[in-house]
Amino acid sequence: MNVDSRRARFETLAPAVIDAVRRYLARRTDPATADDVLSETLLICWRRFDEMPAEHLPWAYGVARLCLANAERGQRRQFRLLARISRLDPPPQTVDGPAPADDDLAAALRRLRPEEAEILRLWAWEDLTPAGIAVVLGITANAASIRLHRAKEKLRKTMTVPGHEESTEGSRP
Amino acid sequence: MTDDDDLRARLRRADPAAALEPASPAQVAHLVEETMSRNTRRWALPVAAALVLLVGGAAWAATRPSAPQPVAAPASSASAPAATAGSVVLFTTGMQAKCREPEATRLAESADFAFEGTVQKIENGRVTLAVARVFRGSTVGQVEVAQEGESSETMLGSGKFEMGRDYLVSAAEGSVLICGYSGEADSIGLRELYEAAF
Repeated sequence: MNVDSRRARFETLAPAVIDAVRRYLARRTDPATADDVLSETLLICWRRFDEMPAEHLPWAYGVARLCLANAERGQRRQFRLLARISRLDPPPQTVDGPAPADDDLAAALRRLRPEEAEILRLWAWEDLTPAGIAVVLGITANAASIRLHRAKEKLRKTMTVPGHEESTEGSRP
Repeated sequence: MTDDDDLRARLRRADPAAALEPASPAQVAHLVEETMSRNTRRWALPVAAALVLLVGGAAWAATRPSAPQPVAAPASSASAPAATAGSVVLFTTGMQAKCREPEATRLAESADFAFEGTVQKIENGRVTLAVARVFRGSTVGQVEVAQEGESSETMLGSGKFEMGRDYLVSAAEGSVLICGYSGEADSIGLRELYEAAF
């Protein structure tokens, strides 16, 4: 493949990737980190363009996921240093966004293990099939399917028993 | 509508990116252009090697051993030194990078030129090595390296070329592989790595 056609193909593909990865990052980190990680992700997509499968979005999410993890590791290091110096409060949650009106859901998601919550996000927000989720997380489609199923069950269960810790108290007259 | 659809719809209503405005076409174009130009300017290593090795102290752009005239690789400046016949000219940029542990298979896949040589001359930041053995690539008598950075922490041994010492050096697409793939010949494990790879 010559250089020009490679560039042309990347230019055709990039806008969709940019849009999807921007959203992916906006859901998971602060705007400044999102910008950095987006350009890092694009660079890797461009460099490894020839390896990109036809289903390119899950693959690009997978790249973004690793870049984000890297960026957050760096930030955590910085933060630990800062915390030692000034004894600051812990950093705010990375998944912030506009205050979710659905408190039940937000609380339920928080009660899941991070991997379970992430699989649900990939399914509902990135709109991925188990096969796509498998590509992002680097697991088999079968494993993704099973984990997604379990995470959905667990989320439902967690939401249908709101405040189940307190429910036994004061229930008798 | 299934339970799954309900659940998904409910999750989607909590999507923090729902209100995210799409990037403007100008922003997208800028980002794409920046990505493609960053790649050609700053990344001389081939893709597979770049991911694993990443260039450390020396992203050496080299003329290919077979090239009759030195041709500056994309990452190089215009100051490519003239090569004498039968020699290879390399030069360095002072990039920092992270490395992962070197693997013989990775070296075998990535390197298209590898040799053992002794530093004969260091002059004006240019190092001349007499080639003792070529592991891969065309046979040349000597290799020149313009060592611009003071040292490379990712090159085994002292981190830079020193007079009279022996080095094992490998390169891919005109860029020297460092991160444990090049260095002083007596660095622990380096010769074993070369023997295993080539």
